[in-house]
Amino acid sequence: MRATVALLCLFFLLVLASDARAAAEISDFKVAVDGDRALVSLKLDRAFTSRLWERVESGLPTSIVYRFLLEKDRKRWYDTQLKENTFEVVATFDAVERQYAVNYKLDGKLVQSRMVHDHNALAAAMTRIESLPVFTLDRLPGEWRLLIKVRAELGSKTLLAMIPVAVATEWTESRKFRGPAPRQP
Amino acid sequence: MSRRRREGLRARLLRHRKDPRLILGGLGLLLLLATAGFYLVQRERDLPSFLVTNRVLLFVLWYINVVLILTVLFVLLRNLFKLLIERRHRILGSNFKFKLVATFIGLSLIPVLLLFAIATELLQGSVERWFNTPLKPVLGQGNTVAQALYEQIERTDLRAASRALAEVGGFDLKSATARARLTRRLQELQGELGLDFLGIYEGTEFVQAVVDPQAGIANLPEPGQDFLNEVLHRRQALRREDRPAGRGRLLMAGVASATSTATAATAAPIVVVAGSLLPPALAEASEALIQNFQGFRQLEVQKDDFKASHLLIFLMVTLLILLASSWVGLYLARRVTVPIQALAEGTRRIGLGDLSHRVEVDADDELGVLVRSFNQMTEDLQSNKELLEHSNRELSATAERLGEERALLAAVLENVAAGVVSTDADGRIFTCNGAALAILRQREEEVLGRRVEEAWPDRERGKLAALLDHDPPAGQGSREVHLILGGEWKTFEAKVTPMRGPGGALLGRVLVIEDLTELIKAQQLAAWNEAARRIAHEIKNPLTPIRLGAERLQRKAEQGDPGLARAVLDAVEIIVREVGTIQQMVDEFSRFARMPRPRPTAVDLGRLLEETLHLYRNLKPGVEIAGGVAGPLPLPEIKLDGEQIKRVLINLLDNAVEATDPPGRVTISAHANDGHLEIQVRDTGRGIPPESKEKLFLPYFSTKGRGTGLGLAIVHRIVADHHGSVRVEDNAPKGSVFTLELPLG
Repeated sequence: MRATVALLCLFFLLVLASDARAAAEISDFKVAVDGDRALVSLKLDRAFTSRLWERVESGLPTSIVYRFLLEKDRKRWYDTQLKENTFEVVATFDAVERQYAVNYKLDGKLVQSRMVHDHNALAAAMTRIESLPVFTLDRLPGEWRLLIKVRAELGSKTLLAMIPVAVATEWTESRKFRGPAPRQP
Repeated sequence: MSRRRREGLRARLLRHRKDPRLILGGLGLLLLLATAGFYLVQRERDLPSFLVTNRVLLFVLWYINVVLILTVLFVLLRNLFKLLIERRHRILGSNFKFKLVATFIGLSLIPVLLLFAIATELLQGSVERWFNTPLKPVLGQGNTVAQALYEQIERTDLRAASRALAEVGGFDLKSATARARLTRRLQELQGELGLDFLGIYEGTEFVQAVVDPQAGIANLPEPGQDFLNEVLHRRQALRREDRPAGRGRLLMAGVASATSTATAATAAPIVVVAGSLLPPALAEASEALIQNFQGFRQLEVQKDDFKASHLLIFLMVTLLILLASSWVGLYLARRVTVPIQALAEGTRRIGLGDLSHRVEVDADDELGVLVRSFNQMTEDLQSNKELLEHSNRELSATAERLGEERALLAAVLENVAAGVVSTDADGRIFTCNGAALAILRQREEEVLGRRVEEAWPDRERGKLAALLDHDPPAGQGSREVHLILGGEWKTFEAKVTPMRGPGGALLGRVLVIEDLTELIKAQQLAAWNEAARRIAHEIKNPLTPIRLGAERLQRKAEQGDPGLARAVLDAVEIIVREVGTIQQMVDEFSRFARMPRPRPTAVDLGRLLEETLHLYRNLKPGVEIAGGVAGPLPLPEIKLDGEQIKRVLINLLDNAVEATDPPGRVTISAHANDGHLEIQVRDTGRGIPPESKEKLFLPYFSTKGRGTGLGLAIVHRIVADHHGSVRVEDNAPKGSVFTLELPLG
């Protein structure tokens, strides 16, 4: 009886915590191996809706979180997750100075800050990622087939005026790739 | 956590879950959470809006609410489910418990949910109304004005920078003399264009700058590499720089030349930055206008989150209150229903006979008193039952023993020759043995359970009923009763014994009747034998002298004795005398034998006694003769055979006077006693030895050594013919008392 109630609670929570699908989608998702680093590039299309622009223009810190998963590809079973990383882009508009401060955080650490002064530059700064080193591939067997999954989380909205749900894109998979060959001693 | 520790914790929780301190602590915690929620609601306006509408906070609030909703649902559904199961299984008290719990939950749910609905609607409406106020246009216009002011100054600066760039294009920035002229020209342009700052850069390298000393710019402004790069990149750019220490805002406009105009060697374009310092008051005002508008826009953007957070906080508080109220409701319901249910179950168990059952419920209010009283009552019932069982066992044993004794007694009664009849206090016959039935010639059903008057309605048996009607006089043993049953004259010895309880209350009477008819016949036969022997002896005594006289005459006659004549005369005299003796004896015997049946007539008893006493007064000197009737008699005249009674009294007075030596006293008295006439003759004479008392009334028994021995036999005979009795007792201090009892009427 108690186990049933606990399972029902868990199911209820999972249902409530499920993400709302965003209209945005990830394109041109590419992975390149540079030494023992995996570099990713992507574009996030249709991310800037009017609602997001309103939020940015209001001066509230507005973030887009890119969540990356490094997985080992398995043909006949679910893939195994090896690593996880996040890349967060936070934009804050200064209405007096009419500029946008854009901060980039990789795995929670600030890696870059930029100032942009118009919408196009801001949109490009938040939705274009070029050769971002998200994972190190050392200590991974070279024969493993790897892939990286990514999705973008664009904040939250409310259902029924009170239920918060996260807005996120679908998971996008990269092509399969192999890690770097082990170095000869 | 190991399994043992988990079980230990669970056991402790179960043990303490009804601990009032734990319950109060839980309630206090809930109250604290509700207070915190309320405080949060009250203080939210003081919190930063980004915190109130923070996504993490929203999710945390929502999960708290989900947990609370699930907890409330779990608590309510679990209890309702349990109640439904109990009702389905028809557990005693479940209906009452269901109603009470439903009432409590309803009383807590309905107002809280109603309040939540109304408050939610009010909250939503208030938020919408707040955002619908004309505040936004006002703030928007203010922002527009401020921005327009900035833009106008920036446009002016931009034009000034362009003009300055055109002016300084002809200067050789590498030459010292040209630089001096450039400085002067910059100062002139600054004055002409009304600028507060004018700077020349070669690429991003500083060349020359001037500031208005009246503007209050203490240090030379530094546009910054980013700005200069942007100017170089876009040919022109704007920058609004906040001056330190609240000294206004510097609006800068930069323009860059397409190529170097001075010398071919100069690779970097010329950048001219013109700046105007907005006074602090104006800068602060315009900045406030912009910030206020931005703040409003932020609120507007966060309106949904804002409402959601408020709703969630309100929902959380509501759920906490709901949880607390439903929990308290359930707790109170349980506090009432559990003891009542336990009492109902206890009543059922006790009704089924399980008196060892006890209600084990902790309660310290009136229900606790009820539970303790119930347990005390059960304990008393149990002890009483055990006592009853013990008494019952003893009673059964006693009843069995009594049954055996009764059977033995019944067997004894059935086998004794005497008839035994017992009556209860109401005179109703409840035992009558076979001998009694045989004596009375009745069947058992004719007497058992009936009153003696109903059982014995006829005159003869009615004499026995009269005996059972009252207790016998003190000192009276048994009475002789003559009944004519089945045409036979029967003599019985009847003895009535009262049965009394511990307090002396009359429980009933026992009548023992013994048929003396055969015994009397035997006694009479023996008496006749004795009489015949005595008669033979008495006759033989005179016969001996007669025989001796006859033999003497025969001898004298055979011898021819001359004294024959004289001898004949003597013998005749002897024969005549002895024959006279025999004749007297025969006459008396004839009189005893021929005693007639009594013929009762109305007799004045006092006169009869006086006449009899008169015969004996002064008969024996020194012996006083006295007596009379003591007290009034119920009838002035009593029906007796006067002559026979007078003869009885004469016989008794004869014996008394003879037995009393002077000085002595003989008294005769008569009085009525319980339906009988009692006449007593009392003397102070020698008395009668105990061994002689039994034979005293037999014919020819005499202690005087002379007389016929028929006097007291005649007394007994006459009294018996009058259906009375006579007895002899010792007189105190000496002498004897003869008591006659004659029935009155």
